[in-house]
Order: sequence, then C-alpha cells, then structure tokens
Amino acid sequence: MTALALRCVGAEVTYTIRSHRPLIRDLLRGQRPAAQQVHAVRGVTFDVHVGESVGVVGPNGSGKTTLLQATTGLLAVSAGEILVRSVPAFLGVQAVLRNQLTGRRNIEVGLLAQGLDRAAVDDLVPAVVEFTGLGDAIDMRMETYSSGMRARLHFSVATAASPEILLIDEALAVGDRAFREKSARRLDEHRADSGTVLLVSHDLGEIRRSCDRVIWLQDGQIVADGPTAEVLAAYEASCTDRLRPAERGGPMRNPVPHARCMVGKATSRRAIVPGRPPTTSDAPTTTAR
Amino acid sequence: MTTPTEPSTDGLFPIGRPTPLGIYLRDLWARRDYIVRVPLNDLRSQNAHTLLGGAWLVLNPLLQVGVYFLVFGVIMPIDRGVDSYLVFLTLGVFAFHYSQRIISDGARSMVSSMGLIRTLRFPRATLPLSNSVGQAVAFGPVFAVMLVVVVAHGNAPTARWLLLPVLFALQSMFSLGASFAAARFNHLYRDLENLLPFVFRLLFYVSGVLYSVDHYVDDALLRGLFALNPMYVYVTAWRWVMVSGPATGVEAVAAVAWALVTLVAGFAVFRAGEQTYGRTG
Repeated sequence: MTALALRCVGAEVTYTIRSHRPLIRDLLRGQRPAAQQVHAVRGVTFDVHVGESVGVVGPNGSGKTTLLQATTGLLAVSAGEILVRSVPAFLGVQAVLRNQLTGRRNIEVGLLAQGLDRAAVDDLVPAVVEFTGLGDAIDMRMETYSSGMRARLHFSVATAASPEILLIDEALAVGDRAFREKSARRLDEHRADSGTVLLVSHDLGEIRRSCDRVIWLQDGQIVADGPTAEVLAAYEASCTDRLRPAERGGPMRNPVPHARCMVGKATSRRAIVPGRPPTTSDAPTTTAR
Repeated sequence: MTTPTEPSTDGLFPIGRPTPLGIYLRDLWARRDYIVRVPLNDLRSQNAHTLLGGAWLVLNPLLQVGVYFLVFGVIMPIDRGVDSYLVFLTLGVFAFHYSQRIISDGARSMVSSMGLIRTLRFPRATLPLSNSVGQAVAFGPVFAVMLVVVVAHGNAPTARWLLLPVLFALQSMFSLGASFAAARFNHLYRDLENLLPFVFRLLFYVSGVLYSVDHYVDDALLRGLFALNPMYVYVTAWRWVMVSGPATGVEAVAAVAWALVTLVAGFAVFRAGEQTYGRTG
C-alpha cells in the first residue's frame, strides 16, 4: 500500500455566519446581529494515498468546498484532525488574486506567496504565461478578465509550483474546451508524477474520466466512499429519486430530467440537428419596407 | 468506507490548526522574496500612469519641503524658538510621515489583499511586513532630500550620524508593530481606516513637529509625559541625531522601549487573529 497523502479523522468544520458585524447600536442595546452556526462538515473520515485521484460529489451545500478549504488550511477544523503530507494547493472558482495588477504580475505574486524564491519564480513565469494561453491579455489588469480567463490564470499558477496535493473546486468547468483539454493533460502528468488530486465537480463525466474513487458528501457527512462506478451509480439514483415528487404533478411544470446532477456527457441533453449550421442567408427573405 | 487504520501517518502534519510560533516564523522567512519584491514592484508601478514616473518618489518630498520653505521661510518667517526652522520642520515632518504611512497603509493591508488571502495559504503577517518594507524603501529618496536640506544649512555630519541606522531600525520596528495591530483591528472593523487620519492629525500637533516642545513646555514632569507619545519620541530623536537637537535620556529609553514593546505586542495581537483573516463572521 502506498504512503498516505492526507488523512481526515472525524474532521468537523463549523463557522458562524452573521448578517453583519455587531454595530455600536447593537452593542448598546445588548442585541446581537442574527447569527447562524453552520455545521458544514460533520465528522468526515477518509484517507487519500499518494497518487490517488478522488472525486467529491454531493448536492449544493453538502460541504464539499468547505472540506477542501479546510484541507488546504484556509478554514480551521473545529474538531477532529486533517493531516497532510504537504500543504495542498487549492483551486477555486472565485479565485481572485490582485485585481489591479496585470496577469503577469499576479503570476509572480501568486508564486512568491506560495513560498518560492525569486530565482525559481523568474524561471517559472515565462512557462506559466505560456501555459495560460492568454496571449497579450497577460499584460492587462486582471479586473478586465472574464471568469474563464481568471480560471486559466489561477490553474496555471496553482499547478506551476508542482504541489504534491491538488484540490480542485469546480475550477476546470469555466475554461474553454482547449484549455480544459490542456488542464486535463496537466492533471494526468501530475498523477503520473505520483501527485494526488481531490476534485469537486458536478460534471460527473469529468469525474468518471479522471477519478478512480469517489466520495459522496451529503449534509457534511460521507454517504459513500468507493470505486467511481459504484458510488456514482448510487448518487445518480438518489438524484433521480429526489426529482420524482416534482415529476408527479407537483407545482413544477415541465421539469428538466436530471437537473440536479449532470449525468454522463453534458452534450447528450442537447438535441443535435444534423446538417450544416444555419447561416444568415437562411433567414426569411421578407424585406421590411 | 475506507477505515484509516493500518497505513502509517509518518511524514504527515496537521493542517487548519494555529501554527506554532517557530514554524510561523520559518514560513514567514520562506516568504522573504515576496516581502521584498512585491512592494518594490508596487512602488515601480505606483507612478505608472504619470508622466514623470519614478521621479515622483524624489519630487514628492522635494515639493513638500518647497511648500514649507515658501510658507514658513518666505511668506511668514517665524522661528518659534528654533534656529533653522526649515531644517527643524523637514526632519520633523518626514520622520512623522514615515511612521504614519507604515501604520495607515498597514492597516489597509489585509482588507486590500482579500483576494490573495482567500485564495492562497501563507502566513498573513507577510502582508503588513511587506508594506513596511515598501515604505522603508520609499523612505530612501525622502532621506536623501532630508540630508540635502540639513547639509545645505551648514550642518556638517557628526559622530551622532552613526546612530542613524539604529534610529531608523527602532522607528521601523515601532511602526511595523503598530501596523500589525492596526491591520487586525481594521480587518475586524473598517472604522479604524476612517479614524486614523484624525488620530495622526492630532498626533501631528502634539508631537512637536511644527514647534519646539522645549520652547513651550518647561515643566520636567510634563516633558516626561511627552515621552509617552512615541511619535514625539522619534521626531525628537531624529533632530537629536541629525542636528544635535535637545533630548534627554528619557527619550532615548523611550525610543528603544516603544520599538520593542510595540513590535512584540503588535505581532502577538496580529497572530492571535491569524485564522480570522479573509472571513467575515
């Protein structure tokens, strides 16, 4: 059995969400702003071995992102323990570094903040710039970037320092096709290099392609943990079950099948019309007078 | 379900826990290239949209002295109990502004790097620290202008000038410590950001930047109370070192004490909030 990359033992993450920080008015009146304890991860235990690729699935709000953030140390565990072999790199969708700086400067800032020395950074920057495929946009300020461009930049920065453990939170979903293929290749290289990946995704096709094992989270707890095919089959079945009440004449008319989880290839739900794509010459020729 | 039993946890370490001080400092040391390079690049790009570019780093202090010279030297020449008022004022204003900039920009350092904090894990003390380094570098041209003004007024270098690095280090330590505390509090409540300009305006008037405290305050006890104001202490120390201004042992002790106590306490305060940065709860 290969060495452990990370171990979660009874990990719990609880945080407080307040509508706002107490204002002086509240303090004087002895009121507390409405606060809600969120028990996002409730006692999760699993091991991930070096070189493993583990998918994490579950409905929105099941604690997937929180679990990943706790694993990278961005959130504190309130009980239990998360042990890691090295500090994992985290890739999220809302990734922003410093918006007022150019993409190139952000690459530099991101690499330095990860603790690389300046010689290593100088070596890496051209390769990272190249990998982003952002072209001239790399010297534009990041506030002008689209979410796909941000994702490209962030993926390139996070994987450039060759982290042993990579945590990906839906971060690949926003890139275009070319970049997704490129990033998938890089993940393959990463795995081949005995790198470890935890991948949160609602695109089950993506999980099937790249993970041999899946953890299913629900309400902050593990429902199932096992081989991809088995766990995804059970997960898909549960998604369909939850849709059924609506299909049985609930208030929701014309429900979209499998709306909660994208099953298989996303394209299969779209009607494909054979033939050439419509052009402007196909438009009705009635001319407005 | 995989039950974590047999594989050994050798080589694994806990994450999401407060880091012990030694490891925290080691992690911080590993960011030294960030701490130096990022503020340098920021300084360089700060004047990117100006015609004169980096020249502003020197022009800005020159113009400040120019204005003081015009107002206090030409328009309404008053000496307020000091010999060369322009030198007195230049030293006071620049020494004061150095601390002010570190502390007010440091207070904003967490809030303005929220994206970085939420995306990457690194010791958060990196941010106030790199701000201080940037301000220290930006002080270079300011110091050059100070030297020119001092020497042009016929003050030859003395043996006391050898103490300049010590004084600069002490004042930087004090300011960094204060900026650590300010960064934590401003992250909690942005009110501080709004208050700080007024705090510094008030301090400016009670720290003897514009007038000689010696000249107005004779009472020794009252003078001792001034040593409780770190800004007064450092402003006075600059004048003592550069132009042999009056100072006592009390101010010397206070300059060292303020530096050590503020840095240690400020860092402790900042680190106690390490887990809260980037969150709103």
